[in-house]
Amino acid sequence: MRGHGFLLANYVPGTSLVHRAPLALKFLLVLACGLMSFLVADWRISALVLAVLCGLFLATGAGTKRLWRAVRPLAPVLLVIGLFQWWQLGGPAAGRIVLNILVCVVAASLLTATTPVQRLLDGVVHLARPFTRFGADPERFALTIGIMLRSIPFIAGTFADVRDSAKARGLERNPRALVLPVFITSVAYARQTGEALAARGLGEAED
Amino acid sequence: MPEVTFSQVGVAVEREDSPQPKVLLDAVSLRLDEARVGVIGANGSGKSTLLRLINGLVQPTSGTVTVDGDDTVSAVRKVRRSVGFVFTDPLSQLVMPTGREDVELSLRRSTKNGSERRRLACKALDRLGLLHLADQSIYELSGGERQLMALAAVLAVNPRVLVLDEPSTLLDLRNRELLRRTLADLDQQIIMSTHDLELALDMDRVLVIDQGRVAFDGAPADAVAAYRSWCLQDLDAAEQDLQ
Repeated sequence: MRGHGFLLANYVPGTSLVHRAPLALKFLLVLACGLMSFLVADWRISALVLAVLCGLFLATGAGTKRLWRAVRPLAPVLLVIGLFQWWQLGGPAAGRIVLNILVCVVAASLLTATTPVQRLLDGVVHLARPFTRFGADPERFALTIGIMLRSIPFIAGTFADVRDSAKARGLERNPRALVLPVFITSVAYARQTGEALAARGLGEAED
Repeated sequence: MPEVTFSQVGVAVEREDSPQPKVLLDAVSLRLDEARVGVIGANGSGKSTLLRLINGLVQPTSGTVTVDGDDTVSAVRKVRRSVGFVFTDPLSQLVMPTGREDVELSLRRSTKNGSERRRLACKALDRLGLLHLADQSIYELSGGERQLMALAAVLAVNPRVLVLDEPSTLLDLRNRELLRRTLADLDQQIIMSTHDLELALDMDRVLVIDQGRVAFDGAPADAVAAYRSWCLQDLDAAEQDLQ
């Protein structure tokens, strides 16, 4: 199983300004970048924000390789989206949409590269605490984020494995040979993960 | 040692192609209080079902399973706090991107303080000689290291019983030996299914499961010998049928 193709950068220990910034501020940055993708209508502003975020990412010491690894898996999807939007809405709109997606991915990578997962989960638990009055369990919120972070590379790895085995059988152009095994493996993985969590007593309501 | 008891336990599942349910375990009664219990048998014989009953992952269709008197259905949460479960494939068990984070996840419920949690996680990893791999991606670890990492995550919460479902199946010889030595040093009661008959010989008691029933229950050497002989008889009979 290959599982290194990770959409978000893993935590890189360091003492940079971003590392030391309060978690709430980093959460707000990611939220603001997400909102920006709906509000900003000029591709030049999106490009400027992306450049600032890339600068911040490199200033953390995480390196260009990690930055590239974070955005590379998206490249084919962005190409398709970009071309379609260019055809539908023109160049500036296509540029804005593609740049805004990159802004969101780099902002999220900045958060995950400079925050240990457990600190991130503690932050999610803290943020979710007001929802306990509605019966929500903050630890479950955190667990969901943790599983999401772990599942993305698993599914990316599965896709790479399935693509290789389809190639070996000369079926690389058959979408069913690519999609169906990934789907089945992902469902099996979800079941196994659920079973593993149950066995460890994780995700159960507090006593 | 804790006491795991099976009283007339049956497990059956519905089948789409038949009105008759498929029997996975049939009227099994056992009392397991030895430090090391091995479970051997062919694929599909019911070994995993037997082990999953102990942690409440599978519920009996009939009969009861208890761990130190606690029913695995009505007191499942209590049972899971004292029974750790290690799966065959550690990748399906390790939920976090790195080993340290996964061990910390195990400790989240019992230890709210982040730095204390980190200290305990380091201690749990150090106990199995894994501290140097703590922050490595689980994908970058070897099969044996992953299996030990999964074991560390389970042991971090100090279960009294450790159930392992074919833990050495995906391991090479070196990693299998490493796992074997690690298990030998643990204080917990261990109940383990395996196809590794050498590993089974390390146990205090071995059960042979065949078609959902306990076909043999006794000393490891006798159990392994009986299992080998049945397998060979079965193979000979199949070959004769083909001729």
